[in-house]
Amino acid sequence: MLRRTFLTAAAALPLAGRAVAQTEDAPIKLRELYEGRQLSALGEDLLGERITVEGYMAPPLKADSQFFVLTKMPMAVCPFCETSAEWPDDIVAIYTKRTVDVIPFNVGIDTTGILEWGEYRDPDTGFVSMLRLTDATYG
Amino acid sequence: MLKGDPMKTISVSAVALLAAGAVSAQGLPQADSDWFVAGETTIQEILDRQPNTNTARNVILMVADGNGVGTNYATRLFMGQQEGGLGEDYVLPFETTDWAAALVKTYNINAQTPDSAPTAGAMNTGVKQRFNLINLGEEAIHDDCSTVEGNELTLLSEMMTEAGRSVGIVSTARVTHATPAAVYAKTANRNWEDSVPEDCTAQADIATQLIDAMEAGIIDLAMGGGARHFLPEGTDGGRRTDGVNLVERATGLGAQWATNTEEFEGLTLDGETPILALFEDSHMQYEYDRTDEPSISEMTAAAIEYLSQNEEGYFLEVEAGRVDHASHAGNLFRTLTDGAAFMEAVATADEMTDDSDTLIIVTADHEHALAFNGYCGRGSDITGLCYGIAQEGIEHTDEPNLGSDGLPYTVAGFLNGAGSVLVEQLPEEGETEAPTETETGEASPEESAPIYSGSRSELTQEEATDPDYLQQALIPMSSETHSGEDVAVYAKGPFAHLFDGTIEQNVIFHVMNHAAFKSAE
Ligand SMILES: [Zn+2]
Repeated sequence: MLRRTFLTAAAALPLAGRAVAQTEDAPIKLRELYEGRQLSALGEDLLGERITVEGYMAPPLKADSQFFVLTKMPMAVCPFCETSAEWPDDIVAIYTKRTVDVIPFNVGIDTTGILEWGEYRDPDTGFVSMLRLTDATYG
Repeated sequence: MLKGDPMKTISVSAVALLAAGAVSAQGLPQADSDWFVAGETTIQEILDRQPNTNTARNVILMVADGNGVGTNYATRLFMGQQEGGLGEDYVLPFETTDWAAALVKTYNINAQTPDSAPTAGAMNTGVKQRFNLINLGEEAIHDDCSTVEGNELTLLSEMMTEAGRSVGIVSTARVTHATPAAVYAKTANRNWEDSVPEDCTAQADIATQLIDAMEAGIIDLAMGGGARHFLPEGTDGGRRTDGVNLVERATGLGAQWATNTEEFEGLTLDGETPILALFEDSHMQYEYDRTDEPSISEMTAAAIEYLSQNEEGYFLEVEAGRVDHASHAGNLFRTLTDGAAFMEAVATADEMTDDSDTLIIVTADHEHALAFNGYCGRGSDITGLCYGIAQEGIEHTDEPNLGSDGLPYTVAGFLNGAGSVLVEQLPEEGETEAPTETETGEASPEESAPIYSGSRSELTQEEATDPDYLQQALIPMSSETHSGEDVAVYAKGPFAHLFDGTIEQNVIFHVMNHAAFKSAE
């Protein structure tokens, strides 16, 4: 089965949400969680809470894991800008409830999980994150 | 006799007509129009131009990476709209009649679509070069260290040093990245920023070449990003596997070192003590995201103050490196915010220098796969939707134009990149492989291409003008590409008038060479 139909719908949904970003239950934009490279005041307020964040699933570092990186824009990899993959400063590491089912890097998703801040090294990939959503679901 | 020479007869009557028109212009019904008056003013300014044939003591080459004619047009509208205008009529700092201009052909020896290494090399040496290498002659081969020896070209920076002048580079990219590297480096591969292949002895890596050039007195000032290529692995994000600390080497040579705004402001701009200022491990931040780093305009001002201490003069190359990166990401908003920051740097350079002795050149190395839709009304936000043209009045209607799919579209879009409306169709859980187009018989059976499909989504003005929005694109690619389309070059100061018509990119060097050296011969 192709995921085509589902994806088209999924791509449209978060966009519809963006128009009403001010209302309480609307998803938060990833960039609102950061102030430069630090946690924003909003992020500080939401620590420990279950929240929904808009973003994109970067191509997973490891197959069949329960971990992926959420980026605010599609994670374009530019051979002329970079000699190897480089992560932006404002990302969220996502630890999922179930094994990650990959979604293309340029399809917008909403991810829901518990917000955590503090340095953490992923045991499988060595990926070091500061901001995370744990026990997460997405779509 | 004129008889029997129809060409001459025609041209004589044409002249007569023009003269008659000039005499009676005031009688034309349009003569009172602001457009008409402004047009006459422009002509008068062009008539009043005097070629400046002074020797250029100073040369400033300002390159916005990836800022071709189309991208520059978008920046013009963006800046005009940021200032509250409609945008189309906005005048960029170099779009007045005291600047000369030409179109530039940017292809590389072996590439219709250029990259930033050989294009910057062409400007710094006077000859076109091969794709992905820097400042090697046409016999050199990319990635082949054995073709370096004997193919090294002489650089404008070396000629300037020979003449007792100072040399500086400013970039918002890594100072080891293609455009700034072309001022001082000669390399078979633009990516050899902190190491060369094991058996390669004909050249050093690009970062080492910068400090070598600083030690040799060729480079006096370097500001930008890229600290990781100067620091050994295991220290502050350093990537050098040879364990060499080039920052310590530079400071050991007496260079000043800065990494943030405070240290930048503390630099001594005496024109004597070399400056190495690297504000990021990799590229500097986009202007929109910038924290604790100087702007490109601030760096340009500091560089000019420093370099102008040398009575003999100077050569400064300034690069807005991240205009290019934002377009690669498909995010026009950051292309334009970095473009606007570049324009501020151009205005700063112009204000701080004297046209009588300083040649300022503003150009780009190449264009991107950026394209524009129609038919949009005046003042349609350059990052947003294409609104209808008003029947009466000037500003666009409130109705966005729709495609045949009934959906609105943006003024600008990319032909390829991450913003593609075609999305990879991944297999459902349980399936092991992506579905494939096997029936064509073209693809190899083991490795068949994934299927991409999709359609344009509903789009609001708020979404399209979001700073993180990616303009819709056609061909799916992880990174949007350059294009071979022309760029423009603008100039003022000594011999700026040599820029005219449509030129090859390497001619830019020849104008600088003529203005700085040959005119005095
Ligand atoms: Zn590029």
